[in-house]
Amino acid sequence: MRTSLVAGIIFANAEDNMLKKLTSNRSMASVPFGARYRIIDFALSNLVNAGVTSVGIITKENYRSLMDHVGNGVAWDLDRKNGGLYLLPPYSSREVRKYTDTIDALYGAMDYIKRCGSEYIALCDSYALANIDISAAVKSHIAKGADITVVYHKGQLPEAAGKKLVLTLSDDDRITKMAKSQAEGDAAYSMGVSIIKRDLFMKIVKDAYDEEIKNYEKDVLPKVLTSLKVYGFEHKGFVAILDNTHTYYQASMALLDKEVRKELFNKKRPILTKTRDDMPTRYGIDSEVKNSLIADGCEIHGTVKNSILFRGVKVAKGAVVENCILMQETVVEAKAQLDNVIADKNSVISEKMVLKGTPEHHCFVRKSQIV
Amino acid sequence: MKSKKCVAMLLAGGQGSRLGVLTGKIAKPAVPYGGKYRIIDFPLSNCTNSGIDTVGILTQYKPLELNDYIGSGKAWDLDRLDGGVHILPPYQSQQGGDWYKGTANAIYQNLEFIARYNPEYVLILSGDHIYKMDYSDMLNQHIESGADCTIAVLDVSLEEASRFGIMNTNPDGTIYEFEEKPKVPKSTLASMGIYIFTWEKLRYYLTEDEKNPDSANDFGKNIIPAMLNAGELLKVYRFNDYWKDVGTVDSLWDANLDLLNPNLNLDLADKNWKIYSKTTGTSPQYISDTAKVENSLITDGCEIYGSVDYSILFKDVTVEEGATVEYSLVMPGAVIKKGAKVRYAIIAENVVVEEGATVGGDPQVVGNENWGITVIGDNLTVGKNADVSANKMITENVKEGAKI
Repeated sequence: MRTSLVAGIIFANAEDNMLKKLTSNRSMASVPFGARYRIIDFALSNLVNAGVTSVGIITKENYRSLMDHVGNGVAWDLDRKNGGLYLLPPYSSREVRKYTDTIDALYGAMDYIKRCGSEYIALCDSYALANIDISAAVKSHIAKGADITVVYHKGQLPEAAGKKLVLTLSDDDRITKMAKSQAEGDAAYSMGVSIIKRDLFMKIVKDAYDEEIKNYEKDVLPKVLTSLKVYGFEHKGFVAILDNTHTYYQASMALLDKEVRKELFNKKRPILTKTRDDMPTRYGIDSEVKNSLIADGCEIHGTVKNSILFRGVKVAKGAVVENCILMQETVVEAKAQLDNVIADKNSVISEKMVLKGTPEHHCFVRKSQIV
Repeated sequence: MKSKKCVAMLLAGGQGSRLGVLTGKIAKPAVPYGGKYRIIDFPLSNCTNSGIDTVGILTQYKPLELNDYIGSGKAWDLDRLDGGVHILPPYQSQQGGDWYKGTANAIYQNLEFIARYNPEYVLILSGDHIYKMDYSDMLNQHIESGADCTIAVLDVSLEEASRFGIMNTNPDGTIYEFEEKPKVPKSTLASMGIYIFTWEKLRYYLTEDEKNPDSANDFGKNIIPAMLNAGELLKVYRFNDYWKDVGTVDSLWDANLDLLNPNLNLDLADKNWKIYSKTTGTSPQYISDTAKVENSLITDGCEIYGSVDYSILFKDVTVEEGATVEYSLVMPGAVIKKGAKVRYAIIAENVVVEEGATVGGDPQVVGNENWGITVIGDNLTVGKNADVSANKMITENVKEGAKI
């Protein structure tokens, strides 16, 4: 059986608690992002763009919307006879305990890891949004003779930096220290993506499981820096770390910058998503749209500024939408005024309603809520 | 194999020569429409929405892009274990082989394909029209009336009637005469090129027609008159919704801009009758601070910094700052650079209109006699400050500063 050099594993739930309101009924990976995507599209596309043909998605809870989104993987060309897409929901038996963290989850997914047949495994968390050249990371991994390669970004530490792993690197990019840091300013920090040989990975996971160690990235990796050759691979382009609703909002608005769009939606490594067969977006005679990112299937008759509109959003005549993120099928009725609002799917903002949040505290409209 | 109740045969081999440079490299059914569709999406989506899951697509002229587009039929949910889409090009056999000579001959050469499914009825479609139609309703009427052939018709105005094949009928909808483009029309019921035949009758008349060396092997000219002469029962099926032939540059432009009419009876957003198309990954559209967009359809991947009014932009189109696009279609990947003006034009795929260039002309300025839509062929460049006037069909790069 022909398999790709690298197989992928994506953690769909890893940081669910970060985006509280948006993950009340879905996994982190299926949170809508960037007008037409779900967060998992970035990890899936990064893997597929590196020639990966087998991907396992580790889920924990609230994964119905995720299943609905990924389906059989056809949108990422992962509907394959050999390999393809595997959803790996929690699995427990007499031999495997129900999982609380990544090591338990990986141990439960051992059958998939054994059978995928690829020489390397690329592990991807879903909290970092970036267009990562994973095939370059694998090349560097092989060239350096590394045991483990961790993809990192150098720059301003993300907001909830205490949760992030800061790396200390030698001149040749070998990682000498990996630790949680409260520091501010610039540093190299892990993006939650790493490459490892499959055999070694299986051994590490099994040992960690037996020793009841919890987290692969935070607990295992920092301990193997001397016994194994752990290298870093720098991702130089745009990256957004999603910690909470505020960073989610910031990351979304970053897309209004042309350079960010160019990097994230790199035409050579396209971000793929499920298609919906919407018609193109209709701009009405009285519409006024400025500095906004808009998906297909919208109908705009009012004013939209500095906002992100997902597929099928309707903005009626006289309505004003500013600094907002409106998810799929949001309806803004006539003369409603929205400022700094995040509206989840299928919500309705009634006629003449005024909803105003602030840049620090966004007004949040729940899924299917009628305001 | 299970028998199928109805098999559709889609005639997609036409060159569409009146579309000029737009069909220089692709067959007419593959011509882009409405921002993200191609013409063939309409009959294919209608089939799937009408419950017809077996479609033979007859190709002949420049089939590469069309074949590639149709693929396995997945985009229209027509990748089926039993049935699905089949591309049917002309082929060689022991007795020799031939190009498809006419619409009837094309079907005749594929009788074997239809016979495999042993259907009761055969639906004949063409890939030239924009419309949403429930073929199952037409099929029900065909079955209930006991007709041997049912022809979909549109009630057109008396002036228009001379441009169509006209069905002269009795009050009960029985056809007694067919007239191709009559100078003095007796009726205003125009054939839409959509036929349902009872399979055995279709097989018989196609086989008979093939024996006549003088026949044009055409449904309208030969098969329908032969059936009428033989006393078969032919009925019309009246269709009242939007239907447009997109055979000419003007009608293609019209049919596209029709989508901007809010009162139009062609709702592409209707979730109960979706028009499917094969879409590939691209980014959302971005409308900048300097942009002014009104009364237009814009799709994924577009970046708008200039002004767009009364136009349809296909995917990945860029309109730079200070550029204006009015009353135009801009097809995938085209770039309209700073200060360029595009009006009353069709800009084909991947065209670059350089800075300060002007394409097309306003009918009120040019005057109606000289006016027409200007077409720029795919992958061409209109040079800096060049001026391409109204009613031009451009097939070569336009040099900097040139006046055409």
